[in-house]
Amino acid sequence: MPISLNYLLKRILLSFLVVLGVIVFSYTLLILTPGDPAVKWAGNPRGPGAVLAIELARRELGLDQPLHVQIAKFIYNVFTGNIGLSIAYKVPVTQVVASAFTSTLELLIVTYLFGVPVGVVLGTYSALRRGGRADSIIQTLAVVLASTPTFWLALIIMIILQAVFGVVPYGRIDGRLAIATNFKPITGFYLLDSLVQGNYAVFMDVFVRVIPPALAISVYPIGVLTRVTRTLVAEALLEDNVRAAVAWGVKRSTILRRYVLRSIIPPIVQISGLSFTYSLVDAMVVESMVFGREGLGSVLLDSLHKADFRVSLALIIYLTIFYIVVNTLVDILQATIDPRVRL
Amino acid sequence: MEPSRLGKHVLLRASKKLRFKIGLVIVVVMVAMAILAPYIAPYPDEGLGRVPLDGEGRRLLPPSPQHLLGTDTLGRDLLSRIMFAARAALMQSTIVIALSLVIGLVVGSFAAYFKGFVESVLTYLTELFMAVPSLVIALFIRLATNTPGYHVVIVSLTLTWWAWYARISYVYAKGIVELDYVVLAKLAGLHPLKIVGRHILRVIFQPMAVQAISDLGSALLEASAINFMGLGLPRDYPDWGVILFEGLRELSVIAFIRAPWLVVFPGLFILITTLGFALLADPLREELDPRLSRRWRLWF
Amino acid sequence: MVLAVKAEGVKIGYIDEEDRVQWAVRGVDLEIGSGDSFCIVGESGSGKTTLANAIAGILPPHAIIQGRLIIDGKLVLDNGRLDFNGVRGRIVSYIPQNPGTSLNPFMTVEEHFYYILRDTKSLSRREARRIALESLMKVGLDQSVLEMYPHELSGGMQQRVTIAIAIASRPKIIIADEPTSSVDANLRAGILKLLNRLNRELGLTLIMVTHDIYSAAAVCNKVAVMLVGKIVEMGEVKALLYDPRHPYTRILLNCVPVLGVKKPLKPLVGEPPRLYSDIKHCPFLDRCPFAVETCKVEPLLEPVDEKRDHVVRCWRFKELKSVEL
Repeated sequence: MPISLNYLLKRILLSFLVVLGVIVFSYTLLILTPGDPAVKWAGNPRGPGAVLAIELARRELGLDQPLHVQIAKFIYNVFTGNIGLSIAYKVPVTQVVASAFTSTLELLIVTYLFGVPVGVVLGTYSALRRGGRADSIIQTLAVVLASTPTFWLALIIMIILQAVFGVVPYGRIDGRLAIATNFKPITGFYLLDSLVQGNYAVFMDVFVRVIPPALAISVYPIGVLTRVTRTLVAEALLEDNVRAAVAWGVKRSTILRRYVLRSIIPPIVQISGLSFTYSLVDAMVVESMVFGREGLGSVLLDSLHKADFRVSLALIIYLTIFYIVVNTLVDILQATIDPRVRL
Repeated sequence: MEPSRLGKHVLLRASKKLRFKIGLVIVVVMVAMAILAPYIAPYPDEGLGRVPLDGEGRRLLPPSPQHLLGTDTLGRDLLSRIMFAARAALMQSTIVIALSLVIGLVVGSFAAYFKGFVESVLTYLTELFMAVPSLVIALFIRLATNTPGYHVVIVSLTLTWWAWYARISYVYAKGIVELDYVVLAKLAGLHPLKIVGRHILRVIFQPMAVQAISDLGSALLEASAINFMGLGLPRDYPDWGVILFEGLRELSVIAFIRAPWLVVFPGLFILITTLGFALLADPLREELDPRLSRRWRLWF
Repeated sequence: MVLAVKAEGVKIGYIDEEDRVQWAVRGVDLEIGSGDSFCIVGESGSGKTTLANAIAGILPPHAIIQGRLIIDGKLVLDNGRLDFNGVRGRIVSYIPQNPGTSLNPFMTVEEHFYYILRDTKSLSRREARRIALESLMKVGLDQSVLEMYPHELSGGMQQRVTIAIAIASRPKIIIADEPTSSVDANLRAGILKLLNRLNRELGLTLIMVTHDIYSAAAVCNKVAVMLVGKIVEMGEVKALLYDPRHPYTRILLNCVPVLGVKKPLKPLVGEPPRLYSDIKHCPFLDRCPFAVETCKVEPLLEPVDEKRDHVVRCWRFKELKSVEL
């Protein structure tokens, strides 16, 4: 096992400290910004129940108590998952975020399953024809893709789909179809769930709806990976071990596969992991505003409109944890595939 | 540690490349548009967001000689709005990147130089702020301050971006700090700030500056996303992201895409501006790292 | 007798950043017989590595090549056209200078053998493993090495592995590029002895590139001394050691300390020049203690005596025989 207990413990400790830091930071923002923190925490309520709601919030935050007690209380609450009930949905905040997570995550995974191979292939192709016309075209394309605002591209895709096919892919799933075919979400990943239940109708439905947003979001990883892969492959081809292999009579195809591509896997994994966390934000914007899908993006928008402070706090914390988890997974993956790395 | 090439030479060689020239043209045009907007926009009032009196009748007009890019949901001339929006775009990116760069450079080099406790604290803070995505911080700030505005975008983006520069500076600085001449300077009693400034910053400034140029574009993308969600700048404000946001707010998605000019042009400007910065930075980056310039053919 | 290697007027250059040609090898003619152990000696910049790379078939494609190179009867280099099909690995193999970086960090030792033997001789995994074990035994390593990754091996072991790999595909010729420069001093003799043994027992033609003339003496029976892209002296090892005729050779012999021999160390002053164009004077002109006016014209390679197997490139080789440096 290339991972030591030491490493895992260190990681968990780091995550803990980081989340702690985020919580403290959020609390500071809550207190320091103009306005009554209790009001914000209660969600700017109006109408008859307002005063009570604000008073409850005040009690919850412990605003009458000294600062360190406040912070400790806040941290304790958050850590035990007790951020309270979402103002918008009236269910525990943690539940709201958790269930939305799977929708966005599913979109991201589909995007990257497509985007990473495309980027790597384009980059490799480009590197093998370095200096030539194909190279320049691909690289220019990559720069343009990386500079494209994904939400705008999503809208363009919508326009094209509407103009050419007369369809507008809205939403994550056709609710009526799901009910009609007795679809039951198990993991929250509808593509998986539908396959497991043998429900191909729902699978196709969900799949077709996930393609346009995935396409839009994929331009970022494609843009980045095309350029990075090209550099990596070009450098790998100049390495000593490739030279020795050529001298020993190894065939070109073998060199490409076993020497070049194999050696670029670790950095590609690293960069893909980093991009993945970055694309989460992209996904949230695109899925909610443009495609009306459920997910973290919609949760964010609802939180904005209903002044649901608690949800926004939960979002911060969950997404931070997500970032750390992804990075840790990437590290672990590195250790498994690169025999030189020992954690 | 790569020796840094002389700034002038790098600039000179990079400026010969076509990409650089295109990027430069784009950036100059955008800056010019931002500065000259009040004078060259056909409908400057509408550009600033004011709804014209006959707005109702001019809603959602496709491009025509009177309105070269069409009109928006309230009848305002799109071209004018787009021109004025260049200001917001450039302001947001520049302020965010400038602040992040300064904070990041300082934190990173201090962490590498002072080591020990300072190093641990600063690296912890760097890790912390790298882990939080800008969009949710923006949401939080928006709710906490209860008003839209520049502060949402600038604070949230700066908070997440500085850590990125801090990490890069830290890695670079760590390499420099171990070098003999820095150790000697320390032993000679040179004031730490002078050491940091003279030795460390001068070396890392170049690659960081190039990264910053390209990041001006990336910052614009993120800022536009925040505005597009309605978290940042308010309605009617001249900003490319806001214009798109309004379109989606006023109309349903289906109706919005029936007015393609309203979709295409604002986003196109975001793309072009970002592209301009990227094209500017690429040749500079290549000149700084010449490892791949020669031996451009393969073994087979 | 088929010559292992025959070079005719070989010139090799590279195009630099400003599109000028830098010649590394400026005209080399040599013949290496089958079974010879041949050393190419020279300082860095002499062109010896480039020449060796040419024979091994790993010149970078941006290299400019003139002249002809014939390996085992096959014309592989013909004025810019390369044809190493079926040569690399099968007829000529290579022992790299840096074994650490020349092995693939993602493959075990056994996998190295497998892919090479599969591509050169279409062997199966099992057959390849068998040959791998044989080769490893010949270099003094046992089978535990097979499952290891390169970074798990010591420097000396890595070098032995590369030697084992080189002989595994049963080539006729092996090029060893400074095989001892990245190895600790105490292991150096071992590697040299090993190379010697391989040459004698397997009948391999060994071509060794080195900057150390005494290593050359230990291993080889013929030596060529290169300077600034040309051969300045060539012949049997004994002849060069005991009767060096070129001032450069003599200085080389004098400036290396030899354990047990007390002699004054006379270093060579100066640095090798960077080449941009062909130079018309003797390559040693600026550093030669015996330079005279005629040295401004490049001397030709002349035989020292009637046997014609010891040649030298110096106008004054006859007089220098008896002159003390």
